[in-house]
Amino acid sequence: MSELLRVSGLQVHFPIRRALGDVVRGRAASAVRAVDGIDLSIQEGEVLALVGESGSGKTTTGRVIVKLTRQTAGRVTFDGQDVTDLWGTRRLRAYRRRVQLIFQDPYETLDPKQTIHDFVAEPLEVNHIGRSAAEREVMIASALEAAGLRPAATYASRHPHELSGGQRQRVVIAGALAVGPELVVADEPVSMLDVSIRTELLRLMLDLRKERHLTYLFITHDLSIAWVIADRIAVMYLGKIMEIGPANRVISVPRHPYTAALVSVAPSPEPPAPGERAKRTILVGETPDASAIPAGCRFNTRCPLVFDRCRVEEPPLIDLGDGQSAACWLAEQATSTGGIADMLPNARRPLGLASPAAQRLASQAAL
Amino acid sequence: MTEQPIPAMLPLSPADIRGRRQWPLPKLADPNAPLLEVRDLKTHFRLGRAWVRAVDGVSFGLADGEALGIAGESACGKTTTALSLVQLLPGNGKIRGGSVELFGIDLVQKSERAMQRYRWREISMVFQGAMNALNPVIRVRDQIAEPIQYRLDQPEAAARQRAIDLLDMVGIPRKRADAYPHELSGGMRQRAMIAMALACDPAIVIGDEPTTALDVMVQAQILDLLERLRRDLGLSLILITHDLSVLAETCDRVLVMYAGRVAEEGPVRRIFTAPRHPYTRKLVGSFPNLHTDRRSLAVIQGQPPDLLTPPPGCRFAPRCDFAMPVCTEVVPPEVRFSDGVRVACHLFPTSDIATVGGSTLEGSTLGDMTQR
Amino acid sequence: MTGPAAAQPTTAAVRRLAAVRRSAGFATRFLGRTDGLVGVIILGFFAFIAAFPGIFVGPLEDVTTATGLPLHAPYAAHVFGTDELGRDILNLTVHAARISMTIGLMATIITIVVGAVVGIVSGYVGGVLDTILMRIADFFLVLPTVVLALILAPVILDVIGAGAEFGGIRATLLVIVVVIGLTSWATTARIIRSQVLSLKERMFVDRARVIGSGPGRIMRRHILPNVVNLIVAQAVLTFAGAVFTETTLSFIGLGDPVAPSWGQVLNTAQAAGAPGLGAWWYIAPPAVCVVLVVLSFTLVGNALDDILNPKSASRLRVVDEP
Repeated sequence: MSELLRVSGLQVHFPIRRALGDVVRGRAASAVRAVDGIDLSIQEGEVLALVGESGSGKTTTGRVIVKLTRQTAGRVTFDGQDVTDLWGTRRLRAYRRRVQLIFQDPYETLDPKQTIHDFVAEPLEVNHIGRSAAEREVMIASALEAAGLRPAATYASRHPHELSGGQRQRVVIAGALAVGPELVVADEPVSMLDVSIRTELLRLMLDLRKERHLTYLFITHDLSIAWVIADRIAVMYLGKIMEIGPANRVISVPRHPYTAALVSVAPSPEPPAPGERAKRTILVGETPDASAIPAGCRFNTRCPLVFDRCRVEEPPLIDLGDGQSAACWLAEQATSTGGIADMLPNARRPLGLASPAAQRLASQAAL
Repeated sequence: MTEQPIPAMLPLSPADIRGRRQWPLPKLADPNAPLLEVRDLKTHFRLGRAWVRAVDGVSFGLADGEALGIAGESACGKTTTALSLVQLLPGNGKIRGGSVELFGIDLVQKSERAMQRYRWREISMVFQGAMNALNPVIRVRDQIAEPIQYRLDQPEAAARQRAIDLLDMVGIPRKRADAYPHELSGGMRQRAMIAMALACDPAIVIGDEPTTALDVMVQAQILDLLERLRRDLGLSLILITHDLSVLAETCDRVLVMYAGRVAEEGPVRRIFTAPRHPYTRKLVGSFPNLHTDRRSLAVIQGQPPDLLTPPPGCRFAPRCDFAMPVCTEVVPPEVRFSDGVRVACHLFPTSDIATVGGSTLEGSTLGDMTQR
Repeated sequence: MTGPAAAQPTTAAVRRLAAVRRSAGFATRFLGRTDGLVGVIILGFFAFIAAFPGIFVGPLEDVTTATGLPLHAPYAAHVFGTDELGRDILNLTVHAARISMTIGLMATIITIVVGAVVGIVSGYVGGVLDTILMRIADFFLVLPTVVLALILAPVILDVIGAGAEFGGIRATLLVIVVVIGLTSWATTARIIRSQVLSLKERMFVDRARVIGSGPGRIMRRHILPNVVNLIVAQAVLTFAGAVFTETTLSFIGLGDPVAPSWGQVLNTAQAAGAPGLGAWWYIAPPAVCVVLVVLSFTLVGNALDDILNPKSASRLRVVDEP
């Protein structure tokens, strides 16, 4: 398997305009550091899941890869060629044929005024694919049918409001497939769909991977979905990768406290046993603003295992073997069967403690 | 600091719950009646000249201090059911049958004016997408103080103080109580909405998809909060969600709805570990479980039925792997089992108890809870 | 930005019903509204008499063909009375409809075309171009119509030639068309631009970019179809305003005595001393016609705006059924 996409040192910073008062007072301009230095390597044919909560930078990363958003720094290499500065017309067009995006919201991705046929036809027309109109019709029909919309003719003449959410998302997939891409970035493709429809769509995506030799970058906030579909999982927090590795390793033996916390709060359709509340590590507070990233390890403000070094020095991604890496000073020591999860206090809190601050103190003292 | 084990959920007696309330019960309340009992509720929406039969014969009950989860996919009628309880249906919606008894008082028969006595004071709701329902130009604590001041006749200062207390209880620090909604994050706004639902010390809080638009960690925080509030305040909860796994961790009983009717209802463990109704089985099977090795998921083919002209008989029959001829002709009767589960499916024509249909509450709740 | 929100599709038949109603039922809904119905009736009436004035009253009377007594109140032969030359007021009023409405139409076309193009381009392209175009629009927004007309009249006449004629409208009135166009396009541009600003953030525009569509294609194929509703509603309201403005400008003397519009009739009435002489029949018909036409366009425009606006509360309420 060869490497299809490589991202090095990717940064995407959105500058914040300073108020006049701040300029006068000489305050430095700040920026929203959506993506703050990540390295990724996607192998041909694999499904890499990029997992993170809102503000983690996962969607921005995806947008940079499909060139909807410009990077502030870093390099992107696709199939051996540097595609970082591809913002002129001709080569960008060729790139867009090979790298496509499946959007999150099937209710918004389709232009309400366009028919399904025109939606799938547009990428073909814009990129001058197909030597004749007849050939394009064949391609459109085959894309619709590959996405499970059979017979294609019944769907082609319809408008988006006549279709259900699942059908619309299939249309979106067909639209992405029409140009024959190699890498598909899927941004939360099933989050807005009913659970029973999700399964079908996920299966479809995996089938298409086999049939059309696709590679996926699957962006999601839901670790459970990543678990179902991914070969490798990368966990992002505040613009950096906290942990990356084979899916089953990352989930069963997490080596970063954030990953372990996410795993522990992932909802499971199994009620806790009587008398025992689920052992969940519920982090306190919310993700800090991306314009005010904490010093040292950016997770230190919420980490249940934080100690002095964390507040001062930011850990790099430490290679732990077996393809797994984690950015935590404790990662190398977390070698037990449960990974770093074994070091975490569980969520049992003494009764009567109301404030989160007190809870935090309690869990720290228990360490 | 030593950890104390969390005590097992003891069944709370009505006196316990009602004794904790700060404001008196409604005058017509029957002290011996169950907290909430819904019988054969039918809520339809007018569309032109026809009616969409969104909720078509739903019955369930809620006991003091209990958490009931209502699960189902889009268009199954769960939100409509919730809106029917507080009678906040959109203009073309109408309750066309059945009863909703709160402390024995039938709310369906009440006029809008009379209903206002109960709404928010006995039963309140956290709406879907609630975090966008805050007025952007009024400070959060003032928005919460408003119902306290006007509904409970409290002086402004006392109302404001109570609002700040409520915000603190839901995890918004006192010094942020005077913030405007846009200064708070999504999770904090959701907490504020919960505080608002608690403003008048209701007996029942309905949460309609309370965590759906939130990050998973914030979701865990909110569910944890609801759990804590239930314990500390003796609240009864009705949680509505399409995400079954959310209910698994927080509810005592789960009601699974399909196309406007109840498919199955029972103690949470029974529903998840031994579902009877084919739809429940498939639904439970379509959630990925991170904590097991299972990576394969169930698929439910087909689409939910059209509620304008629903299919005769069982509404799930067109998609059911086990459909029999009778399923498309006769509506399956509800049947109760001794483990506290109620099913409406022709695969279970008889129960091991002699009761068929009717209310779910006859002595079942305490039994359910000890069985968990 | 945040995680998922619950999908809220409706059941299949409800959607189908809504879709059918949306297309075939538009006419029913429009005519079912009082304002739409009344507006269309009045408008239709005036459009008809503007197009075929001869059917009602025969050719336009002038000095030589006038048959009535000068400045006589309404009586059997002349139901609207006569003017100072003995011409039948009804005849004048009906023929004036054509002029007034044609001018309104021409001015509206200019306004809408320029306004829509500027609004779409400025809104979508953004940046410096947007700033420049909007500052230009601001300039035109504050121009007083009457003053501009008076100043520009000789200039435009110079440019197009005093004897020019277009669509049966002579040069003096073409001046009015140009003036109305110049002063109204900015409002339309601003309104359309703000709709475009919100459209351009929508996901389907992102998708068009990701597949490689250029700005021109996106503006033509994605933005324009989604603002057409707004454009139509704007056009109707602009028409109303144009008729009224034309009436004003003709009244103050910029009109064409040979091809009189309602405003021109009012101007002639005033010059003949009608108000002082109590000749209400001279003033009332054209004035009332202007009011009715403007009213009808406004009613139709409001009805259209309401019906076509996807966010409007009066649209068919298909219940979200989670």
